[in-house]
Amino acid sequence: MSPLRTVITGSVRYRGREGQLAFILHRLSGLGTLLFLALHILDTSTVYFFPALYKEALALYRHPLFMLGEIFLVAAVIYHGTNGLRIALFDLFPRLWRAEREKPSVYTTLAVTVVLWLPAAFIMGRSLIGHTFLGWE
Amino acid sequence: MTTLNPTSRVVSPPPRSLDGRIWLLMRYSGIALIPLAWIHVLIQDVLVGVHRIDLDYVALRWATLGWRVYDMALLGFAFAHGMNGLRQVLEDYITRDRPRRLVRWGLFAAWLVITAIGAAAIVGGVGRGAGEVGGS
Ligand code: HEM
Repeated sequence: MSPLRTVITGSVRYRGREGQLAFILHRLSGLGTLLFLALHILDTSTVYFFPALYKEALALYRHPLFMLGEIFLVAAVIYHGTNGLRIALFDLFPRLWRAEREKPSVYTTLAVTVVLWLPAAFIMGRSLIGHTFLGWE
Repeated sequence: MTTLNPTSRVVSPPPRSLDGRIWLLMRYSGIALIPLAWIHVLIQDVLVGVHRIDLDYVALRWATLGWRVYDMALLGFAFAHGMNGLRQVLEDYITRDRPRRLVRWGLFAAWLVITAIGAAAIVGGVGRGAGEVGGS
């Protein structure tokens, strides 16, 4: 089996429960955010290097599909940060960690993510619908 | 004997090696990124929104030195953290020596070039000839 297939099938079969779920979500959200960040540094740099091109970058960001992606990007940034804080706290203050805290700590990060994301998703979703279907601006 | 159901765990202090320092730095930069990245996203994506962002908006924002310092810190922390994270991910799957070295130098070069481009834009500000942009 190729390494990539091993990774994918292994991730599906390995029953690591909450900890493994957190690991996979942390990894995917980190990589997704990084992909966007690299793009975003380069497109914003056009304001200095090629100011006329910045309009084109904005046109891309204002596309409905991109706005939908932006809503999920915000979810990724919130989850990755919340779970990253969980990792950092348990690593920097090992005394905080107990086996029985592992599971609830993962559910806490998921709950915090949802609570912080919902209002943001509402505001951004309203803007997406307004600009796509209601002819705002 | 190791137990399958540990009830405590040991995190030994990170070694004073390069890898140990990077391990610590991932945690510290991550904690710094919670206010830095979240406030940035809250303002630009949620409260302002991409439909109200244009060259004038960027010029107005960067007219305040504090926002340039803020953006520089965000650029420095977030992209270094993310690119090192990508290195960690790739090294989980690439174990042979030569490809690993290639990945390390490739990522380092990409990080350096993109960071330099971003930093130049933050220092330089909105370029001239963009149709009279008020810089104050
Ligand atoms: C918002 C605050 C953030 C916190 C608290 C945070 C925290 C962390 C921590 C502690 C790790 C190390 C995980 C480990 O060694 O097991 C990590 C990995 C990573 N972070 Fe972040 N981070 C944050 C923001 C970001 C941002 C903005 C990006 C994207 C540019 C990013 C991309 C990554 C990547 C790609 C990894 C590697 C994932 C892996 O090893 O599976 N992080 N983060």
